[in-house]
Amino acid sequence: MKRPKKKVSIMRKLQRRDRLKIYGDLLFILNSESKKEKVVLTHVQLKINVPFDRLKTYIDELRELGLILENPSLKLTEKGKLYLREYEMVLDFVKRMGLTY
Amino acid sequence: MDNTPLIVVEVVSAIVCFVLVWFMVKPYRTTGESRYLGLPLGFAFLGVSYVLMGAAYFESFHFVQETKWLQLFTQTYAFTFLAATYFFSKKPTKHSRLWLDLTYAALILLAIVSYLAVVEPLIFGLPSYKRANEYLLLFNIICLAYISIHTLRSHASKPDPKTIWTPLSYILLSFGQYSLFIWSVDSSFAAYVGAQFLRLSGLLILLFVTYQAFHAPHETPQKEGIHNEKASA
Repeated sequence: MKRPKKKVSIMRKLQRRDRLKIYGDLLFILNSESKKEKVVLTHVQLKINVPFDRLKTYIDELRELGLILENPSLKLTEKGKLYLREYEMVLDFVKRMGLTY
Repeated sequence: MDNTPLIVVEVVSAIVCFVLVWFMVKPYRTTGESRYLGLPLGFAFLGVSYVLMGAAYFESFHFVQETKWLQLFTQTYAFTFLAATYFFSKKPTKHSRLWLDLTYAALILLAIVSYLAVVEPLIFGLPSYKRANEYLLLFNIICLAYISIHTLRSHASKPDPKTIWTPLSYILLSFGQYSLFIWSVDSSFAAYVGAQFLRLSGLLILLFVTYQAFHAPHETPQKEGIHNEKASA
């Protein structure tokens, strides 16, 4: 009886990420992974912690937004790099202001 | 008494607030998320309230009493906006976002009604200015105390030298409101001067914090977020 209760409490401690945060995290990971020879999606999935099918959806969406491109491996476009820089600034601002989003 | 120093303090405070708005609107422009509107809206209201107070100090100004009432309401809305922003930043769920939007809408509606009350005092029947000022100052102190505690807890949960300045600035702003309350009760000029000093200090610290976030070179704060949180969207 105790075990399910513990699971629930752990799940409550985990914060929900909205789509914006997932996009930001994904861009950050892709940016660091693209420095390697080839971006392996399984490694990206392990780092970002989302199901593989959803990861592919997010990648398609980012590609449609012009933030990433596949040439031949996945990497950030200039627009994607700019967005990532601004997103990091926003995160830093939110942290400094004591907001707990 | 010459009001020039008081007008200068109000103008400087208003300028600092509008510069803060200019910086703080950037997260909203980048993300398009309404949750980032609370801070710029709050500081815009605060800036307007200082402009109104500055106008009320002009001896040749005709609508001094009306302007003072407007300033009183505007300042209270500013602190309420800020407190609501911090309150709803605790649990970012679908419902909290809806409640945040509803709160912003309700506050703007309330602001319009209260401004109408100032324009048409005979219809709405306003209480004495001094009494209203004291109650609203107490309300402002409660809002600022809440924000100070929230930001202090946020700092305590992940201690970082960068995050201590924000609670300090809100504490100074709340002491500024407390000094204004003292001034309203016993007309102590020292309390009034102290209030202006504390307010300016608080605003300048916030300006420093915001400038640092957007212009100082910084390391990526994202890495920790990726590993500590799970997606459930």
